[in-house]
Amino acid sequence: MDRREFLKKSGAAIAGTSGALGLPLLSACDPNTARSDSPLAGRKWGMVIDLNSCQSDCTACLDACREENNVAFHDDKRWDIHWIRKVNIRNKESEDDVEKSVILLCNHCENPPCAQVCPVQATYKRADGIVVVDQHRCIGCRYCMVACPYNARFFNYKENEEWPNTAYPKRSHGVAESCHFCAHLLDEGKGPACVEACEAGALYFGDLNDPESEVSELVANAPVRRIRDDWGTEPKVYYLGL
Amino acid sequence: MKLSTALQNKRLGAIVAILIVVMLLPLGLSGVRFAFARREHMPDVFLEMPAPQFADCVRETDYMRFRHMDLLKQLREEFIRDGIRGNESLTKCRDCHTSRERFCNRCHEAASVVLDCFGCHYYPEPDSGAGSSDREVDHG
Repeated sequence: MDRREFLKKSGAAIAGTSGALGLPLLSACDPNTARSDSPLAGRKWGMVIDLNSCQSDCTACLDACREENNVAFHDDKRWDIHWIRKVNIRNKESEDDVEKSVILLCNHCENPPCAQVCPVQATYKRADGIVVVDQHRCIGCRYCMVACPYNARFFNYKENEEWPNTAYPKRSHGVAESCHFCAHLLDEGKGPACVEACEAGALYFGDLNDPESEVSELVANAPVRRIRDDWGTEPKVYYLGL
Repeated sequence: MKLSTALQNKRLGAIVAILIVVMLLPLGLSGVRFAFARREHMPDVFLEMPAPQFADCVRETDYMRFRHMDLLKQLREEFIRDGIRGNESLTKCRDCHTSRERFCNRCHEAASVVLDCFGCHYYPEPDSGAGSSDREVDHG
């Protein structure tokens, strides 16, 4: 073996070992930390929001969410937390330049940027596709808030004094949170609080993996859109009439 | 004097050996103490346990006393991350251990281990005095 060959071979060996050692590091960044034998596996929860039936002056879903999940409201926009929020948007490119009232919530992305950046894997994607924050692990670094392109993440700058629903925990000061499709109710076989509260029938919720479900049929046949589909985050919240 | 010649000197060698033993003695003793006297480190606190008809906890009393935190963490990980919802949970504790003040807090205060479960999880205190005296059983 001459000098040149030796250098080639040793270089290849070093590259190979560093690749092998780096793989566990890469897999640690994977947001899919759920076990494959989890009872949640197989489902993929999704939501369709029909903006044509959503009433712009109604806040039933927002109030139900706040009540169910003990979402903090201090009446001060610096600290208020909104798992669902209502905004008025206008598409300047469309011909009819009308303002639309749109409800925004966590999009539960298939490729959640928040979960990828979380340094302690407090944010992760459950086996049924819901993106959840484990507040026990959260260190309050707020990296997920920076990463989320939909501004769906909120931080508890202050502890919530009120505790309307004692069956569900509240959050202490210094952790991040966002909508979790009422995962605790889904596990009990109920639907999310906002969907139950909507009287206009604008919110559809169901299993996207089940072709018979209402959401699957809407996604397949109706002209649904997702917010910034071009980003590749693959949201599971679809909009009708956006 | 060189080190090798010093070690050849029997008297000096003995002194060095004794010194080493004396230096390592506290380390060994603390290990012995830790291994045999773990219970002595437990603070002498009176915990109000549930009445005898509730005496069977989800694990043995000794396991619960020393390892309840590991059990709670394990259940927590299984439940939140994998959706495995068993019959055991922190909220189920209060079915028997009705008073957090007289059960959890006493020991945690004596051991000065900060308990932050109940900042977020609801664990109501029963009305003071009502029906508490007949459930006082000393297992400690």
